Amino acid sequence: MNAETLMLLGGAAAFAVTLYWVRSRELSERHALAWVVVASLLFLCGLFPQSLTTLAEASHLSYPAAVLFIALGAVYLFAFSVSVAITRVHRRTIRLMQQLALLEERVRELEGGPAAERDHHAPE
Amino acid sequence: MEPPTADRPARHLVVIPAFNEEKALPRTLEALRVLPAEFDVLIVNDGSADRTGEVAEAVGRVGNGRVRVVHLPVNGGIGVAVQTGYQFAASRGGYGYVVQCDADGQHDPGLIPELVAECRRRDLDLCVGSRFLGTDGDRSTRLRRVGIRVFVALIGRLSGVRLTDPTSGFRCAGPRAWRRFARSYPEDYPEPESLFWCARNRLRVGEFPVRMHARAGGVSSIRSWRTAYYMAKVTLAILIDRLRRQER
Repeated sequence: MNAETLMLLGGAAAFAVTLYWVRSRELSERHALAWVVVASLLFLCGLFPQSLTTLAEASHLSYPAAVLFIALGAVYLFAFSVSVAITRVHRRTIRLMQQLALLEERVRELEGGPAAERDHHAPE
Repeated sequence: MEPPTADRPARHLVVIPAFNEEKALPRTLEALRVLPAEFDVLIVNDGSADRTGEVAEAVGRVGNGRVRVVHLPVNGGIGVAVQTGYQFAASRGGYGYVVQCDADGQHDPGLIPELVAECRRRDLDLCVGSRFLGTDGDRSTRLRRVGIRVFVALIGRLSGVRLTDPTSGFRCAGPRAWRRFARSYPEDYPEPESLFWCARNRLRVGEFPVRMHARAGGVSSIRSWRTAYYMAKVTLAILIDRLRRQER
């Protein structure tokens, strides 16, 4: 298998993984957008391998494929797991914040806020 | 929760999400005074940095118990604020319809009883106030109208339901819709996505012509530099929701 095929397969796999995680609601659309871009870039590199070589020559990197695979592979695995974790933590934080706000309103009411006044001294 | 009965008719809840709306809020709340007695009002102060919370509390004190205020400790976004309203309705019980109405004066609270009546008459689960079915009023900017047309086409193609104003934040939800929204609701730009969810999961959705006003104060949460993110995020959300199993 050559580098072009690998990038094509990698791009397709990255795309599928992103869709799968968003579909199962473990990854939010907000965090998935960047990964869709990464997957597309990888796929495009596989389709047009010459572009990578051109880029490598322009930036004087003599061995572009190695840099790309190692760096991208590691960064991908690590950062993706972070995105998933953030989504999960964020959802919990929101739910806690909403519960806190609702309970705080309830406490105010029970301590004699406006609603309690209505119940106890209903004028008409 | 206690279901409404013949002796205890259903009350309805008007949810007003408010983020930094100290200037527009008093006028909106004044306009809400015309609502019949079966309507309660819940102002959700979405972690505002200005005096929105104090203004809301001051009105709540003279509201004869019909106006409640919930303060989110930090800003959560429009979807989080509105969902807090649905959760309030679910936790208190006894509510029939839950209406979302903006704090910034864009929506006319006088139309709320008609919106609820329309929802009930046509047995809708979600009735959206559409600025495009009416004959006049503020129709938003050209850029936003293009975005709205994209969502109309997308939702129409994927769910088979034709609507004219999927981004409208003036909407009335019946129990089947708002109970689900209380459990799960998009965080930012929630309107088109939640509408699509209803349409796709065989809830009855419809529209009602409303007149909208230009904003009275504050800053719209949809600014031009965010439009690209808004379009991409909502489109992705709708496409992916299409891939999920139907829930009902």
